[in-house]
Amino acid sequence: MNESLASVLTALGDDELVLGHRHSEWTGYAPHLEEDVAFASIAQDEIGHATAYYTLLAKESGGNPDVIALGRDKSEYRHAVICERPNREWAYTLARHWLYDMADDIRLEALEACSHEDLASLARKIRREERYHLIHADTWTARVARGPVEGRRKLMDAVGEALPDALGIFEPVELEETAVKEGLWPTPSDELRRRFLDRAGAKLDELGLPTEIHAHVVQDAEFVASSSGDLIEDRQSETPGGSASNDHGGRRGRHTPDFDRLWEDMTGQYRAHPGATW
Amino acid sequence: MRTATGISEQRVWDALGAVMDPEIPAVSIVEMGMIRDVVIAGGRARVTILPTFTGCPAVPVIEQDVTTAVADIEGIDEVSVEFSFEPAWTPDRITEAGREKLKTFGIAPPTGDGPVLITQIGLPTVAKCPFCGSTRTHNENPFGPTPCRALYYCDDCRNPFEQFKPV
Repeated sequence: MNESLASVLTALGDDELVLGHRHSEWTGYAPHLEEDVAFASIAQDEIGHATAYYTLLAKESGGNPDVIALGRDKSEYRHAVICERPNREWAYTLARHWLYDMADDIRLEALEACSHEDLASLARKIRREERYHLIHADTWTARVARGPVEGRRKLMDAVGEALPDALGIFEPVELEETAVKEGLWPTPSDELRRRFLDRAGAKLDELGLPTEIHAHVVQDAEFVASSSGDLIEDRQSETPGGSASNDHGGRRGRHTPDFDRLWEDMTGQYRAHPGATW
Repeated sequence: MRTATGISEQRVWDALGAVMDPEIPAVSIVEMGMIRDVVIAGGRARVTILPTFTGCPAVPVIEQDVTTAVADIEGIDEVSVEFSFEPAWTPDRITEAGREKLKTFGIAPPTGDGPVLITQIGLPTVAKCPFCGSTRTHNENPFGPTPCRALYYCDDCRNPFEQFKPV
């Protein structure tokens, strides 16, 4: 088994599985019925994508996708920390969904050039499906950003909170250098991160969201284009916390207590009845 | 093509034509355009299937149904079912007959010819009610009961209906 391919597939699969699990928690609780349906469906998509990555991994390694998904210890998961954060409220869920799906689109686009043919065609297929997640997230973000002030403020705060974690999606995967060399991870994570910040910055400009949000973007990327450069410089120096957000850890198996609880819940049934089928 | 044992590919395709999509039992997986190819070597048949959506939960059921249907053919000793995303399944693969049957199931078939560019993927601006044919309809939800369908409502005949998503 190619270890760097395993690393790539594990990171991709774990992101989708863990965030899919979070999305599924809205089933029966979303603010209105249509969003209940939407999040249930998005969750199903993400968990389905995780299954596809794990199936490919199992095919390459001789393992079993269910064991990969649910039979690992907490420390063996390689998802970005943003995926494990609790849903909190609707604004945070929306902000995370928007940032994550944008990030996912950027890495899938890069993966279309993957040297592993099955992974390249899987990325092409998944990216087409994920289009609906992007549309959903963009529609809601625009609706709330252009709506009444309370929602707009909540969304702003939520994007501000989610953004540092979102950058963890681009923490290098394990063995990334080898994976890049072998064409399995065709674009280095640093470059993907740059593309993400460019795109997120442009969208925030488009939505006319105030520069407090830009400050989070700019904090980690001095090159983000904006029409109000001076103001951003000011905000940047006011932003506390510096580059603390750069120390992510999810791709190296370092997770927060939020994941402990999620893992207990997500794998409980499997651990109680290993190998059970229905 | 006829092999040494005399099993023609057509027999396998005929058997597959009786395997229904578990989530849309009015339409067969052949009509859905899900069969990429059938290869026969001696008494062995290999069927390669393109799932409509990656996360389609019907896939294991389809695998089982295909195995059973093909294994029933006299002269076939071994069936293998493979799933592939190359090429990606796109709705233009659904046959004409398949499109008509989707309507009887309350699902508006996908419109347009050929796979669309990724940037053009999205819900159709005009959806045609499968019950009355009206285009006075509106989207209720871009998601629906399965990953491949969106929810609509017909403002003329006042029926809810589903639209197969372009993907």
